[in-house]
Amino acid sequence: MDSLVARYSRPAYQDNEVFSEEEQRDLIETPSLSLKFAMPPVAHPSAWLRAATDDRSNPSCPIKIAHGTTTLAFRFQHGIIVATDSRATAGNWIASQTVKKVIEINSELLGTMAGGAADCQYWLAWLGMQCRLHELRHKRRISVAAASKILANLVYAYKGMGLSMGTMCAGVTKEEGPALYYIDSDGTRLAGDLFCVGSGQTFAYGVLDAEYRYDLTTEEALDLGSRSILAATHRDAYSGGFINLYHVKESGWVKHGFTDTNPVFWKTKLEKGEFSNVTSDFSED
Amino acid sequence: MPSPFSINGGACVAMVGKDCVAIACDLRLGLQALTVSNNFPKIFQYGDHVFLGLTGLATDVTTVSDLFRYKVNMYRLREERHIAPRTFANLVSSSLYERRFGPWFVSPVVAGLEPKTGKPFICGFDSIGCIDFAKDFIVSGTATDQLFGMCESLWEPDLGPDELFETISQALLNAVDRDALSGWGAHVYIIEKDKVTKRLLKGRQD
Amino acid sequence: MRGPTILKATDDKTRQLNDHTLLAFSGEPGDTVQFAEYIQANSQLYSMRNESELSPSALAHFVRGELASSLRSRNPYSVNLLLGGVDPITNKPSLYWLDYLASLAKVPYAAHGYAQYYCLSLLDKHHNPNISLEEGLRLLKLCSDELKRRLPIDFKGLAVKAVTKDGIKAMPFDEDDKVVRDT
Repeated sequence: MDSLVARYSRPAYQDNEVFSEEEQRDLIETPSLSLKFAMPPVAHPSAWLRAATDDRSNPSCPIKIAHGTTTLAFRFQHGIIVATDSRATAGNWIASQTVKKVIEINSELLGTMAGGAADCQYWLAWLGMQCRLHELRHKRRISVAAASKILANLVYAYKGMGLSMGTMCAGVTKEEGPALYYIDSDGTRLAGDLFCVGSGQTFAYGVLDAEYRYDLTTEEALDLGSRSILAATHRDAYSGGFINLYHVKESGWVKHGFTDTNPVFWKTKLEKGEFSNVTSDFSED
Repeated sequence: MPSPFSINGGACVAMVGKDCVAIACDLRLGLQALTVSNNFPKIFQYGDHVFLGLTGLATDVTTVSDLFRYKVNMYRLREERHIAPRTFANLVSSSLYERRFGPWFVSPVVAGLEPKTGKPFICGFDSIGCIDFAKDFIVSGTATDQLFGMCESLWEPDLGPDELFETISQALLNAVDRDALSGWGAHVYIIEKDKVTKRLLKGRQD
Repeated sequence: MRGPTILKATDDKTRQLNDHTLLAFSGEPGDTVQFAEYIQANSQLYSMRNESELSPSALAHFVRGELASSLRSRNPYSVNLLLGGVDPITNKPSLYWLDYLASLAKVPYAAHGYAQYYCLSLLDKHHNPNISLEEGLRLLKLCSDELKRRLPIDFKGLAVKAVTKDGIKAMPFDEDDKVVRDT
């Protein structure tokens, strides 16, 4: 009786999309994790955490969490392109130029990392575990819609506690085709063709929107993805380092390099005549 | 609201060599995270062997550099001779202190050669004119922590002009590559008794 | 007081400083027009007295000086400016970017406010110094399309003026199509 009631008394959001029975069960059976994390012994843990870690409102906060990013993903006829920069900053200090912001959830699903680096790494690894459990239970791949919903429900459960993540889930399945979802720590979950996330998002959108089409060839799509990241690394102080490029297909994802922006930038400038704002000799003074 | 010293970003360093000095700056002008221009030099020349580097709030960098151009020109007309780096340093100091209660948001660096002896001279200032004389190097800007690290490890006494160029360039480029708010190219001046060499460094553009 | 209403959708946010120099402004309402017209009046006074025009570079540095001295006054102007002009002697075009702090930069292309974040990357990719007026307008269309697509407000379109060696003229700008692709 209880299981019958549980089946038909699900939250309204679950009626909006068609999930298979077993996926439905995953969404409900996701275990509550709220008691697994040690909480600071103060009256208001989330307010205390915010005061200690938010370097935007308090530049001298004692704990500086790595921030600042450009990540993008877009759907096209042959799958999904996922591209990111690789810089991690703590305040104005560049903490790393070699961060892997594309997280390989499994051999078919990719996640991207923006916001709190640790939050993204931990929860996307956790999502990988949930996806694997789904495969073992049901002997079939999880849909991207369901995987992204598991993550969205999880972060929503922690809403207001200080999680900071803006992530995209990309995968290609037989049922869905190329599927792309945006999930952030507010609890927003959106399906779409094209997303850019992070402090450099606007710069990436600028280049991407102007030339994006669904019928891009694979080569054009890879070029556009890496050029959009290059644009963002150039203008946004908190993005830079390397261009991390992936192509997601139905057979799984393919990595297309982790390329230093510096030689790419000068090649783009000198061979194509772009970036005319950058001086390369004194005669332009 | 961030500190006025880190709104626009920028870095500057000066170094002493054997019978020569070097001064270098980055080229970025930003508005917090946004890079607006990649051609905003922060080094200004006030005589054959007198150079001033200014980092901090971009508007004050321009205002203060213009102010000293006026003051140095007036000095030259009145005295009928070029200003010496040590005299210029004292002019900078007292001019900054005139704004003790509403300072220019700049961190100046002076580099030059003494006119008679040809001895290297460098010094730095805080924003209200306290002079910091140094025998080795002076750094300023948003990448000071990184520059101190680079200079402490790379600098050694009695470097010739070519070695000094290499040292200051490596120090600046590697320092700004660890600072989000400075970089995007650099200018380097090597000042010798009978020659000043200005070079443009192609830095990382991210 | 005034509320969030748009009082006028076709407000000209530019002032002509002389035959070959145009000043565009944004910022605190009231300050903008007062400051721009103060600059305009002084520029015109100079042209009348000397029977010659100040170059764009001279004007830019004059504007910067005025804005910088206002910055440390009791009531500073809060105005962001773009100054574009063609030098009457060399016939060379130049563009200057000034913010309300009176930071001055000579740039090949520029924007203020949120437009910077969306358009500068586009201009980085598509601009080159030898661009023609027609190509320039096409590039501007690319920018305005992006702003329409991504800005969370409706900015009621653009007014476009071109500064050439022959003077300043308003350009017709295609503003009809509201096609914003769903992405």
